[in-house]
Amino acid sequence: MTYDIIIVGGGIQGVATAYELAKRGAGKILLLEKTFLTGGSTGSCAAGIRAQFGSPFNVKLMARSLEIFENMAKELECDNDYLELWQGGYLVLAYSEAEFEGLKRNVEVQHTYGLKTNVLSVEEVKKAFPRVNVEGVYGATYHDRDGHADPFHVTFAYAEAGKRLGVEIREWTPVDTLLTENGKITGVRLQDGSSVYAERVLVCAGAWTTSLLKTVGIDLPLWGEKHEILITEPWERLLGPMVISFSRGYYIQQRPHGSFIMGIPPEDPRHWYRPDEFDFSSSIDFLLRMSSEATNVLPFLKGVNVVRQWAGLYEMTPDHHHAIGPLEDISGLWVAAGGSGHGFMFGPVMAEQLSKWMMGEPMDIDLRPLSPDRFKKGALVIEPAVVG
Amino acid sequence: MIETDVLVIGGGPAGMNAALASAQSGAHVLLVDKFQHLGGQLVKQTHKFFGWAEKGAGTRGFNLAKRLSEDVMNNDNVQILLGYEVVGAYRDGTYLAASWSDHITIKAKKLIVCTGAAERMILFENNDMPGVMGAGAVQTLMNEYGVLPAERFLIVGSGNVGVILAYQLLQAGATVDAIVDVLPKLGGAYWVHAAKVQRLGVPLLLGRTVLGVYGNSRVESAITAKVDEKMQPIPGTEKRHDVDAVALAVGLMPLTDIFQMMGVKTVYVPELGGFVPWHDECGRTTNKDIFVAGDAGGIEEATTASIGGTIAGLAAANDLGYQDNMQAVKDNLEALSIFRTSSLSKKVLEGIERMRGELNA
Amino acid sequence: MGRRITVHPVIEFQKGAQVTIFYEGKPLPAYDGDTVASALIANGIDVFRQSVNLHRPRGLFCAIGNCSSCLMIIDGVPNTRACITSVHEGMTVEQQLNKGMMP
Repeated sequence: MTYDIIIVGGGIQGVATAYELAKRGAGKILLLEKTFLTGGSTGSCAAGIRAQFGSPFNVKLMARSLEIFENMAKELECDNDYLELWQGGYLVLAYSEAEFEGLKRNVEVQHTYGLKTNVLSVEEVKKAFPRVNVEGVYGATYHDRDGHADPFHVTFAYAEAGKRLGVEIREWTPVDTLLTENGKITGVRLQDGSSVYAERVLVCAGAWTTSLLKTVGIDLPLWGEKHEILITEPWERLLGPMVISFSRGYYIQQRPHGSFIMGIPPEDPRHWYRPDEFDFSSSIDFLLRMSSEATNVLPFLKGVNVVRQWAGLYEMTPDHHHAIGPLEDISGLWVAAGGSGHGFMFGPVMAEQLSKWMMGEPMDIDLRPLSPDRFKKGALVIEPAVVG
Repeated sequence: MIETDVLVIGGGPAGMNAALASAQSGAHVLLVDKFQHLGGQLVKQTHKFFGWAEKGAGTRGFNLAKRLSEDVMNNDNVQILLGYEVVGAYRDGTYLAASWSDHITIKAKKLIVCTGAAERMILFENNDMPGVMGAGAVQTLMNEYGVLPAERFLIVGSGNVGVILAYQLLQAGATVDAIVDVLPKLGGAYWVHAAKVQRLGVPLLLGRTVLGVYGNSRVESAITAKVDEKMQPIPGTEKRHDVDAVALAVGLMPLTDIFQMMGVKTVYVPELGGFVPWHDECGRTTNKDIFVAGDAGGIEEATTASIGGTIAGLAAANDLGYQDNMQAVKDNLEALSIFRTSSLSKKVLEGIERMRGELNA
Repeated sequence: MGRRITVHPVIEFQKGAQVTIFYEGKPLPAYDGDTVASALIANGIDVFRQSVNLHRPRGLFCAIGNCSSCLMIIDGVPNTRACITSVHEGMTVEQQLNKGMMP
């Protein structure tokens, strides 16, 4: 079978890009997923979306991504309830004078790109968010269009919209090897031994991307880093914003369904390059640290039961930015991975811009600085506002 | 933090016997149960057990529960944690037990899971209405707390549980309108029990299912109908039952959450009630430090659960090097196989065989 | 309603000391050893909460802490399972009409 483009990976990145490419008339598109759609990092992510970043690049991208989320229901022909879009804002708390100054600098960048982020004094935080414990807090920033979207439903909505445009999706179809001939990509060989062919292959396989690229001799410095999350039983709406601290690492948000979802990075993150090293087991250490931090920041959580905890992989790069674009060494091979903990929220904008890039249209936001070849050239991109 | 050799989750017949067997071999045992008392589902059994004298044949369930829980409480090697539920299980052998207001971390070398089973639900109109209860729930209310939740009952399911429930309801002074079963013949009940309740005037309506329950905020009536060979209701055969409760005795499914948390291989075996952890004859799962006993490893009944508990407890202590329990394990396995020669165990034995075969599947 | 069994051919029920619990503010008799569920049902109360979306009445289903049908607000704490929570003197019990709300 021959396609115009084969996409490997059924997370937000692969599925959204398949849709955007189909929309731009990219021809016959096949998407291959080794388990089920959202079966990798998308389905285990914390579902937060925010434009409160510090680097102009990320702010620009996320400002556009929020717009896409806001118009997604219409674009993909579903409704906001299905997407579980909730814009209760992100309340970023600063725990030192220096951290507060840093946040204010980020806000200046955000203002440059038209975002209406507010800088809040401790008194203002207390007044606007009385359930938040401000002990040790120096100030905060708040952007009301940040919030939450359901990673499963967003991905499924893209998938359905893509299928309506002719995208073929095959789940439970693991790719074994990328196929090349004379430095040119020709397709992929599946784990069942059969092959499918295309002139272009786009790998959006999250932390699994590294091992796939290795099959054609490419070393991408992209690794999986285990992060844990827990979720509680649902309550009525008690908390509007995602409450987050970059210095302490926690983030806590109430989903539209009513459950509280939260995470805190591992004290000693482990880096994995090979899928056989990946470990998705939960730890009691996370549960205890997370509960103690959460009940400190939001004391009312003491009465709320935890129902589940799980682990997923951040797909990290050395500068915590995506690796996105064509690979110089193999013509026709593209990659879009390395969201470094932000893959879901960046997914829609990355898909939109990448599809333009692949179709030879001008990009609204130039993604070329995120080229996967930048690491070997030492051209890193720096972002100050990250968790973990 | 409590450190122990053997953590036993669930204080029913399997768990109490497992705790005793490990403790008597010299191991320190922590037994956790979410209720404020030991006994599990034995507490609500008023009938005398068949089977093996050593495991309480001829004794009523609640007396057996009392005897066993006294033995457990009097054993210095067993520490008992009541009112706590093990809500977290981690692969490094750490566990989290939570009560309503508190939590305790536990470190254990071996785990024996005796969490039992949950009642199955079936589809019919208004099946969420108060008055629709699991058969086990009715037994718990009636036989443990001395409370009858209704006056007139319809029982769905003619297995052991349904038929014994009917008898117990009559003993407690309630009326049983009928026992219905979708299958054309008696479910898994002992024939003597079924004959007894029929003699007492409870009709056994076979080939009939419940279509719905109706009432104003709680059950006031139920409608049943005959089914055809495809199990579809036959129009015109509807029958109204003036009952204020419907007890569902449509089977149980093993509670296997902990095995899934621990990454133990589970296998779907319909004969054993659904997903069960793969386990060897000692109850050892694909993680050699984790054992299963009782209904959690496959739906059976209290006597086999008791023997299974003893075997798992002996094996866990043996694996920890406390004493050589291999002969004792062998004796108990023999007792178990003798008990399972009855025709009612045929299905279970087939299920066990199917499960064993799935290890390398 | 007299739902407590007084005469039984096999079991001798030993009631604990009487305590008073407050259901929706109304005092109800219960006994030490009762769960909230057994005490309410003994007093003729079968509806424990409403389902969160369609607001249908819900009561006891499994009685062993598995199914979440019997979640109530007990001593002010929502989402508490009535079937495995023991009564105590002065306990307050309320029907739960939503997902759980802070006072």
